[in-house]
Amino acid sequence: MINFWNRLKRANRPACVSLVLLLLLYLAALLADFIAPYPYDSQFREYSLCPPTRIHFFDRDGRFHWRPFVYRIAIVNPALKEYQEDFSTRYEIMFFPSGGRRLFGVAPEGKIFLFGTDLHGRDVFSRVLHGARISLSIGLIGVSISFFLGLLIGGISGYIGGRLDTVLMRLVEIIMTFPGFYLLLALRAAFKPNISSLQLYLLIVVIMSLIGWASLARVIRGMVLSLKEEEFVMASRALGLSSFRIITRHILPNTFSYTITALTLSIPGYILGESTLSLLGLGIQEPYPSWGNMLSICVGNLRILTGAPWMLIPGGCIFLTVICFNFLGDGLRDVLDPKNW
Amino acid sequence: MLNVKNLKVSFYHQGKIPVNILSEVEFDIQSGESLALVGESGCGKTLTALSIVKLLPRHARIDRGEINLLGDNLVNLAEKDMLNIRGKKIGMIFQEPSSYLNPVYSIGNQIAEAIRAPLTKKEKKEKVFQALTEVGLKPMHYWQFPHQLSGGMQQRSLIAMALINQPALLIADEPTTSLDVTTAIQIMTLIQTLQEKHRLALLLITHDIALACHFGDRLAVMYAGQIVEIGPAKKIFSSPLHPYTENLIGCLPEKYQPKQTISAIPGSVPDFRRLPSGCSYHPRCRYRLPVCTCSQPPVFRRDDIKVRCFRYGKTLGTEKS
Amino acid sequence: MQFIPLLLGMTLLSFLIIHLAPGDYFTQLKMNPQISPETIAAMEKNFGLDKPVMVQYFYWLKNILTLNLGESFAYHVPNAFLIRQRLLNTISLSVFSITLTWLVAIPLGIYAAQKNGRWQETLLSSLAYVGISLPSFFLAMLLVFFAARTLVLPVGGTTSIFWKQASLWQKFIDYLHHLLLPGLALTLAGTGSLYRLMKNNFLEALGSPYILTAHAKGLPRFVVLYKHALRNAINPMITIFGYELSSILSGAALVEIITNWPGMGRLILDAVLSQDLYLVMASLLIGGFLLVAGNLIADILLVIADPRIRLK
Repeated sequence: MINFWNRLKRANRPACVSLVLLLLLYLAALLADFIAPYPYDSQFREYSLCPPTRIHFFDRDGRFHWRPFVYRIAIVNPALKEYQEDFSTRYEIMFFPSGGRRLFGVAPEGKIFLFGTDLHGRDVFSRVLHGARISLSIGLIGVSISFFLGLLIGGISGYIGGRLDTVLMRLVEIIMTFPGFYLLLALRAAFKPNISSLQLYLLIVVIMSLIGWASLARVIRGMVLSLKEEEFVMASRALGLSSFRIITRHILPNTFSYTITALTLSIPGYILGESTLSLLGLGIQEPYPSWGNMLSICVGNLRILTGAPWMLIPGGCIFLTVICFNFLGDGLRDVLDPKNW
Repeated sequence: MLNVKNLKVSFYHQGKIPVNILSEVEFDIQSGESLALVGESGCGKTLTALSIVKLLPRHARIDRGEINLLGDNLVNLAEKDMLNIRGKKIGMIFQEPSSYLNPVYSIGNQIAEAIRAPLTKKEKKEKVFQALTEVGLKPMHYWQFPHQLSGGMQQRSLIAMALINQPALLIADEPTTSLDVTTAIQIMTLIQTLQEKHRLALLLITHDIALACHFGDRLAVMYAGQIVEIGPAKKIFSSPLHPYTENLIGCLPEKYQPKQTISAIPGSVPDFRRLPSGCSYHPRCRYRLPVCTCSQPPVFRRDDIKVRCFRYGKTLGTEKS
Repeated sequence: MQFIPLLLGMTLLSFLIIHLAPGDYFTQLKMNPQISPETIAAMEKNFGLDKPVMVQYFYWLKNILTLNLGESFAYHVPNAFLIRQRLLNTISLSVFSITLTWLVAIPLGIYAAQKNGRWQETLLSSLAYVGISLPSFFLAMLLVFFAARTLVLPVGGTTSIFWKQASLWQKFIDYLHHLLLPGLALTLAGTGSLYRLMKNNFLEALGSPYILTAHAKGLPRFVVLYKHALRNAINPMITIFGYELSSILSGAALVEIITNWPGMGRLILDAVLSQDLYLVMASLLIGGFLLVAGNLIADILLVIADPRIRLK
C-alpha cells in the first residue's frame, strides 16, 4: 500500500498535488459551517451585487497592522449597485469569534464578503463552501452507484453470454445512442418539476447513474469475455465454485486497475452533469446553493455577467475540481498500468 | 566497395553517462560478395546496419570511424546528401515484413515511390511490374495491400523495393527470422540469385550461424559490439578460431548425435553499461588466460582470418594487425 | 441493415421515458387551461391517449414514420415544424465547430509530436489540458463576457436587425457572424482532446517500422511525415470521431443555451421547462437520430480511409 503511494509520488507530481488539493476541498466542504463567515441563506439586501471585499494589512497612513482588516462598505448608489470603501471605519478580522463556532469574521456592523455578494446580497464565499457539499458529494455517490451497476451488469453479461448478453448489450447501445445532454434533460422531464429538495438530490443522482453505467458495463463485459478464457477461471469452475462467486471473487478483481482509473476520470462528468442541471434551473433549487445554480444567474443575463464578474467564481471552482480529478486519474493510470510495473 | 574502418557508436541518453555500443568495428565487402554478420540478439548487429545508412535512433551517435562506400566517406556526408545514398546506392530489407510495409498503401504504390529515375507514371508502373516479376510476384499484386499477402510475398515486395534502383549494396537485417523454414529458404535463394545477377554486395545480418555459413561468402562474428572473428565462411565453420564462434557452432543441433546433450554457452550476453574488464567474452570463455581479464585483445591474423583473441597472439605465422 | 432494431429501440426508449414517469400527467394535461380541448381531442385520436400504454407506443411509432411528432403545448404548432427550424442551426453549429477543431488540432498535434519533449510541446499540451478540464458552459460564459465587454461579436440569435432588407449573400455573412461566438466556444472546448489524441497517434505512427523502410528508401523527410505517418495517424481518429460525436452534440446543446443560439439544445430545454412532453420526446429522438447519422458518416469515412477494413 505504501509502495503504491511512493510510486505515485515519484511518477507524477501533478497527481499528488491534485490529490492533496482535492482532499482539502472535500475537507472544506465538510467543515463549511465552520469556515464560512455567514450562513448560506442570510441575505443583506442593501449589499446586493457587492464586489469582493479587499483585505488590508496597511492602512491609508501607511501603518502596518498585525491583524488584517477590512473597510466599511459605503453604499454609493443602491440603484446602480455602486459601492466604495469607507476609509474612516476599520473592522479587524477576528478569528474564532462567537465562542469558536466560526473560523473568522468581523464585527456585525462590518461585512466581509471575500467573493462578493449575489443578487440577493448573500455572501458568495459562504455559498461556494456550502455549494461544494452538494457538487462534490453528488460526484462520489453517483459514480459509486454507476460503478456498482456497471461492474455487475458488465460482469454478468460477459460471463453468462448468450441471449442475456445480447439483450443487455443492445440496451447499452441504445442508451449510448442518445447524446448525454438530451438524455439527461429528458429523464429530468419525466419527473414533476416541484418536488422536495432531498428527493431532487436523489433524483439527480439516480438519473446520472442510469446514464453512466452503460459505457462502463460495455468495457467490463469486453474484459470479462477475455478473462473468461483464462486458466484460473477454468480451475475455479473445476473446483465447483458458483458462477456468481467466480464473477465477483475472481474475474472482477482483475478489472480493478482499469476500473479505478475510469472511476476517477468520470467523476468530473458527474459534477458537470449536476452543475449543468442546476445551471439550467432543473437541478438544486433555491435557496440551497450548488456551484451550478450559482452560475445560473449569469445565463442570458448580460448585465450581471459583465457588471459582476465575481459571480463566475463557482465556475472556476468547478474547473479546479475537474482539472484535479483529471490529473489524479492520469497519474493513477500511469501507476496502475501493468505495463509500467 | 564498402569499407568500414574503426567504427565507434555510443548511446547518449539525457542525464546519463554515454554508453559505448560499437567499438573498433571494421570490415569490408566487395561487389558480388556477401558478408554474413552473426551474433546473438542485442550484440549490435542492427546498429551497425543503421550506422551505414545513418538512420540511427535519436540518442545514438557515431563517435568516430569511416564508412567508405565507392570512395565516399558516409560519416561526413550531410543529411541531404545521404538521401542520394539511401535507396539509390544502398538498399535495405528488415525482419518482419508485415510491420515494415505501410498498411494503407498498395505495394505497387510503395515500390513505385522508391524509384528515383525521372520517369513518367506509366513508365514507373512498367518498372514496378518488371521488379515484381523479378522477385517472383505477379503483376496483379501491384494493386494489393500488405495485409492481403503472405509473409513470404511481403518480403519479396520489400526486396523489389530495395533493389529497384539497382543499388551497389544490399543490407538484409534478419530477413528470414520471422518466416517459416520453407519460405526462408526460398527468400534466401531469391536474394542469392539477384545478388549474382546484379553483382550486388550483400551484408546479411542474422543470428542463425548455419544460415550465415550457407549463404555467406565471408563471415563476421560480433559479440558485445565488437567483431571478434572475420574470414571465409566455410573455413570458419569447419574450424572456428574464437571461443565464442566455437561455442556458437557447437550449439547447432546438427553437430550432435541424437540424445546427446547439447552444450549451451554458460552465462549470458553482458549489459553494455557493465561490460567485463579486458576481453568482453572472458567470463564465459573456457580458454580464459590471466591476460584476458585485464586487457582488451587486439586483432590478430591467422592466414585469411582475423580474430580478437589472445590465444592467437604468440604462435608462429601471426602478426598483430 | 443491423441498425433498424437500434432505431426501433430508440423510439421505444424515448417513449418509455415519458410514459413511465410517475404521476398521471395526462389527467393533468386535461386540467391545464393552456391546452385547448381541440388539441386534447386531436392527441387522443393521434396518440391513443385513452388506450393502454403498449398500444400508445404503436400509435407513437406509426406517427413517427409519418413524421407527425405531435403538437407543442406551449407554441401550438406541430413539433416537426419547430424541430426543423432548430435542427439546421444545431447542424450548422456542429459542422462549423468540428471543421474548425480539426483544422486547428491536427496541425498542432503533428507539430507537437515532432517537438515532443521540448518546451513548445509542453506548452501546447498544458494548454490542451486546461481546455479539456474547462467546462464547456464556463468557457461559453467567459466568451460571452468578453464579447459583451469588447463588443467584438454579436451575442445571441442568428440575425441582426437589418435582416429583412439584406441580400442573400449579406444574410449568409450575417449568419456566419452570429455563428462565430457559439462556434468558437464549442471549438475551444473540443480542440484540447483532439490535439492530444493526434499527438499521441502521430508519435505512435512515427515509431512504426514502416517509417524506417520509408527512410531507408531515401524518401525526403516531409514525404515520410505527411504521406506515411499522417495517413496512419488519422485513421484511428476517424473511429474516435464516432465516439466523440455524442459529447460534441451535448456540448453544442449547452453552448447554444448559454450563447442564445436557437438550436435543438435550446428547444429541448424550453420543452422541459414548460413540461411540453411530446416535444421533449421528439427532441430526444431527433437528437439520437442525429448521432446515428453522424456515426454512419464516420463509418463510411473509415471504410474509405482504411484498406484493411475495406477489403475484409
